[in-house]
Amino acid sequence: MFLYQLRNELWKLFGKKRTYIGFVMFLLAQALILLLFHFSAGPTRQMTRLLEMNGFDPKDYISCLTVAAFMLFPIAYLLLPLFVSLVGGDLVAKEAEDGTLRMILSRPVTRVRLLAVKWVAGAIFAFFLSLALGITGLALSACLFPWGHLFVANPGEPFAIFDASTGCRYFFAAHLMLAIKAITIMGLAFMFSCFNVKPATATILAISLIFVSSILQNIPYFSDFTPWFLTYHLDVWRLVLAQPISWWKVGQSLSLLVGFNLSFFVIGSTAFYVRDIKS
Amino acid sequence: MIALDNIDKAFGRRLAVSNLSLQVPRGEIYGLLGHNGAGKSTAIGMMLGQVWPSRGTVRVGGFDVTTQRTRALQKVGAIFETPVFYDYLSGWRNLEILSHYTGPVSDTRLKEVVEWVGLTGREQSKVRTYSHGMRTRLALAQALLPAPELLILDEPSDGLDPEGIHEMRHTILRLHRELGLTILLSSHLLNEVEQLCTRICVLHQGEKVFEGSLAEATQTRHYVRLKTGDFPAAVRLLEENRLITGSRDGKYVILAEGADTDQIVKALVAAGHPVFEIAREERTLESFYLNLMQSQSTKTPPPLLRAN
Repeated sequence: MFLYQLRNELWKLFGKKRTYIGFVMFLLAQALILLLFHFSAGPTRQMTRLLEMNGFDPKDYISCLTVAAFMLFPIAYLLLPLFVSLVGGDLVAKEAEDGTLRMILSRPVTRVRLLAVKWVAGAIFAFFLSLALGITGLALSACLFPWGHLFVANPGEPFAIFDASTGCRYFFAAHLMLAIKAITIMGLAFMFSCFNVKPATATILAISLIFVSSILQNIPYFSDFTPWFLTYHLDVWRLVLAQPISWWKVGQSLSLLVGFNLSFFVIGSTAFYVRDIKS
Repeated sequence: MIALDNIDKAFGRRLAVSNLSLQVPRGEIYGLLGHNGAGKSTAIGMMLGQVWPSRGTVRVGGFDVTTQRTRALQKVGAIFETPVFYDYLSGWRNLEILSHYTGPVSDTRLKEVVEWVGLTGREQSKVRTYSHGMRTRLALAQALLPAPELLILDEPSDGLDPEGIHEMRHTILRLHRELGLTILLSSHLLNEVEQLCTRICVLHQGEKVFEGSLAEATQTRHYVRLKTGDFPAAVRLLEENRLITGSRDGKYVILAEGADTDQIVKALVAAGHPVFEIAREERTLESFYLNLMQSQSTKTPPPLLRAN
């Protein structure tokens, strides 16, 4: 029955037009960044200078992989949290607002089961949104740039270089980690959605929490506390595009993110369980 | 089928339902009446495990809704006022989605129910294209899919036009007659309740103020309207014969215990009093309800949470 219910939840989710806003906005943002990258000399010149200074041939490294990775940073930081929060915040609160939740809860389904189905559907959405980001980024870049090695200018970190096949693997591994970031943010919005709030409130609360965590993390005064911030661990995808890759840190962040996700779900389901569902 | 035992439900300091006990016997059409905010929807919410009672127990089909909700609701269907669906999906898809929260449902069963409610041919259209009447039929279809034994209808005729109300009334009677369902009906339409229900419960500010059969509510058992040539003389004669205990308004007599209208007619005719008209006084549900509400509103302020 769980699979039937999950399939139904996916029908509901992907039957709504607003679910696709994220996919469309990603495409638009990528196309815009790509055009700016192609037609303005700035980013290419800076990259060329950096590569030449370190004894690399820019022709080998200014590739579709490099450009796709370059586009990833602003989108992963700004747009991804917004669109996954939007969907996560809708999952329960929108149904409560519309009244369909009352129809569902006149059925012999437990509240925890209902939330589990919804959470998995939200996680599938977050996964596909992250994967689509990588695929469309690479496909669009391949229209204007040749295949080649991967060069990643990780902000605040030393740059990293990979040969084409390794780079491609790490590029998609980074997207898998990005999917975990997306699922966690979706889970945070989902948790707020389980309370008696409007869908927009759940979304805004989740985004605000992410931004506050990000701001605090970037204040030099709090540098000693950096590993305590959620956003520090949400950046796990960047670790896979660094050299050398610190697998220990990757494992640490991933296990903490699993803990965060579990906590969000338990808090959300407890709040939902004790709630009275009224019209 | 449904048993509420000393139920309280408080929202903050306000008691929405206070010390409510009621029994809905199997096979009845049971009406739940009351003004807006009387606690009808809260009571229904507690029967469906959507609202947690602050005190007392709610049993449906013999199972405690609070602790055994999935078993209690296995054979229950429900319709709420203004039925809402996933408008961007087809009626068929909506039925699949909602029914799978109960258990697997075959396409044959879905088709059967769609046909029963008269939606055949429109089931693949998006719900946003449905009229209010069609939505109500779809709501009925989703309630019937798990083959329920109990149907809970919360203001099912809300927003329907007169034809729709008529159709809904016939559907409820059909459900009761053909499928043998026990039906709990919450409605503002007293006329509808009067035509459908066998038993009613009236709530006022969260408290039960009447529970009984419709006949008990609408029939003033001992009052008989009598039209005769000489009313005072007739009253004297009937009192002497211990057939009545008194009279009212120059046209009503109060029957003595064990006496009936045929004995009155016999006694009057035998004494040479012409009888032009004799009938038990019957009240409409509306007059009963309004009298009840009037007497209650002069009695009690809205209940606040009891101090323990």
